[in-house]
Amino acid sequence: MSSTCPRRHSRAFPPILHRTLPLPSFFLRDSWFWIQDLEDVSLLSSRLEFFADVVRWFWIKPRIGGFDPRLLKNKKINCLLFSSTLSLVRVMSLATNSPAHSSSSDDFAAFLAVDLDSHSSDSSPDEETEGDNNAESVRIKRRKVEKLENSEEDIMHEVEEQSLEVLSKQQLCSHPGSFGNMCIICGQRLDEESGVTFGYIHKELRLNNDEINRMRNKEMKELLQRKKLILVLDLDHTLLNSTELRYLTVEEEYLRSQTDSLDDVTKGSLFLLNSVHTMTKLRPFVHSFLKEASKLFEMYIYTMGERRYAFEMAKLLDPKKEYFSSKVISRDDGTQKHQKGLDVVLGKESAVLILDDTENAWTKHKENLILMERYHFFASSCRQFGFNCKSLSELKNDESETDGALTTILKVLKQVHHMFFNEVSGDLVDRDVRQVLKTVRAEVLEGCKVVFSRVFPTKFQAENHQLWKMVEQLGGTCSTELDQSVTHVVATDAGTEKSRWALKEKKFLVHPRWIEASNYFWKRQMEENFTVEQTKVEQTKKQ
Amino acid sequence: MFFHIVLERNMQLHPRHFGRNLRENLVSKLMKDVEGTCSGRHGFVVAITGIENIGKGLIRDGTGFVTFPVKYQCVVFRPFKGEILEAVVTMVNKMGFFAEAGPVQIFVSNHLIPDDMEFQSGDVPNYTTSDGSVKIQKDSEVRLKIIGTRVDATEIFCIGTIKDDFLGVINDPSAA
Repeated sequence: MSSTCPRRHSRAFPPILHRTLPLPSFFLRDSWFWIQDLEDVSLLSSRLEFFADVVRWFWIKPRIGGFDPRLLKNKKINCLLFSSTLSLVRVMSLATNSPAHSSSSDDFAAFLAVDLDSHSSDSSPDEETEGDNNAESVRIKRRKVEKLENSEEDIMHEVEEQSLEVLSKQQLCSHPGSFGNMCIICGQRLDEESGVTFGYIHKELRLNNDEINRMRNKEMKELLQRKKLILVLDLDHTLLNSTELRYLTVEEEYLRSQTDSLDDVTKGSLFLLNSVHTMTKLRPFVHSFLKEASKLFEMYIYTMGERRYAFEMAKLLDPKKEYFSSKVISRDDGTQKHQKGLDVVLGKESAVLILDDTENAWTKHKENLILMERYHFFASSCRQFGFNCKSLSELKNDESETDGALTTILKVLKQVHHMFFNEVSGDLVDRDVRQVLKTVRAEVLEGCKVVFSRVFPTKFQAENHQLWKMVEQLGGTCSTELDQSVTHVVATDAGTEKSRWALKEKKFLVHPRWIEASNYFWKRQMEENFTVEQTKVEQTKKQ
Repeated sequence: MFFHIVLERNMQLHPRHFGRNLRENLVSKLMKDVEGTCSGRHGFVVAITGIENIGKGLIRDGTGFVTFPVKYQCVVFRPFKGEILEAVVTMVNKMGFFAEAGPVQIFVSNHLIPDDMEFQSGDVPNYTTSDGSVKIQKDSEVRLKIIGTRVDATEIFCIGTIKDDFLGVINDPSAA
């Protein structure tokens, strides 16, 4: 028989199993010990010095790290003993859906078969120990004993049946989440770390996926009732621009004397924050933007910055905590490195809009993203992105309050919100903001047919180029051939053949920046502002 | 639960504190070091109420520091499973609410809030009954039952419930 079970011998047993141990009176051969309350546990605890080692190593290890007798509450323990040596202790968890369960009963059956077979002559009377166990466990034990002679499968079946029986009787906690490693419903200690950490709400709070989904669905219904969507906002280069104090250039030193008071942050826009060693410039219009957007959206902050920095910034943007209370997500809270994900946002993806300047951070959620034109106020920020021009701060200039990027985007947001709630047909819950966003975007360059001239490298597949895709997303069409339907020629050089054709045919000849600008401003830009200059060679020829 | 117990601690004192006020210095240093800390065994040390006895000082080799074994009486606070506590709500969100009873942080999940209380978001997120008579929001005082505790080296976390008789709001800040 033992040959059918090679696992038993190949398994590396911890030394404790080979030690001969005194037999506790209630751990008799094949008795089920049913732990129901803490009294039972205290009874057990006295025996647990050796027991703990076995149990810890054996069946509960994957589920429970350290051993705590309280963990055995509501668990069924089955001990198989022979000749005063503890050979196997099995603790059956009440959670049926755990994947470990089926394999453990499988193993168990194998062990059982071996152990029972080799020691079937060994009959130990265990009736007197059953006194304080309830009738249920006695019954189970009885049935168990009857089954002893049966085959392996029967025993396996029996084990499953019993666990089901137990399930129906006991109220089950699915442990939907944890706070400080304790289940949020039953308070039981959970040593296994599972689910997603919601560090931005509380550092100890974790929720499982099922619970998150439940939350999301509930939240969605409520949000849609209030006619709101979710808006995730980036901080740096989107809502504001910060620089470390030591990176301030000589030309920017004048800013130090112009910082606004931190007493009433709604009045100013340039702040010196000694606690995080930064100087921060809020993007013009940001306060009005947040105020307007908060009427239409539940807003989150999601930044790649540190938590402390994120909180400081949130204080500047939202001193009264009206918009972002406990919805500030920082780098430390994300689930993936160098990526932002919506998994920590309690909203359905079909109702989330994202405002960010970095497309690469949102690889999984590009459809939700509204790309922002970067806001570079400080020179250090320009340099970081490789611009050699003077920064806004050095020019003592700033974005316009009335038609800056935030003003433009707010209009887009309002439009998307309006369309989502008033123009899309179908049930509110089934509507998808991503589709709406796509439609709005596709109106920008509607009716434009674009031909590129010397914009892409010769060997490059034109259809795959970013600009080509951008035009298509914006609702325009691209072509490689010139014909009368073409409306725009995009070139960096006015001397190319196609450029000259455009001039001759009175088509628009524009710089690639025209496409990018239209993309950022969600509006077809005036072509006159993006004319293409002749290269110097051409110009000198003409002269 | 609060306990009044005697604890012992070895205090190291810099020689500059020696002199007539040695005892006072030692006690003030003890208070600074111990009050507000947390030990897994005893819970939070709330306040030192008296000094039982200060042992003989021992000069550390190499430094001038002297170690005194100090026995002191103090009030400690440790929550227990099943205990009823009164706590102040610090944060309300759709997952439930967080409350504080002194240094102890308690989380009450929305599963453990009575079913007739619904989450209302807005400027002041809160849980309200359908008739609006009871409201839990930030700064509300609630009576809750502890169903799980975890005591760390520096912090204590608890899971609480208000889904039981005689539990819930005991003082509503908005009504006042």
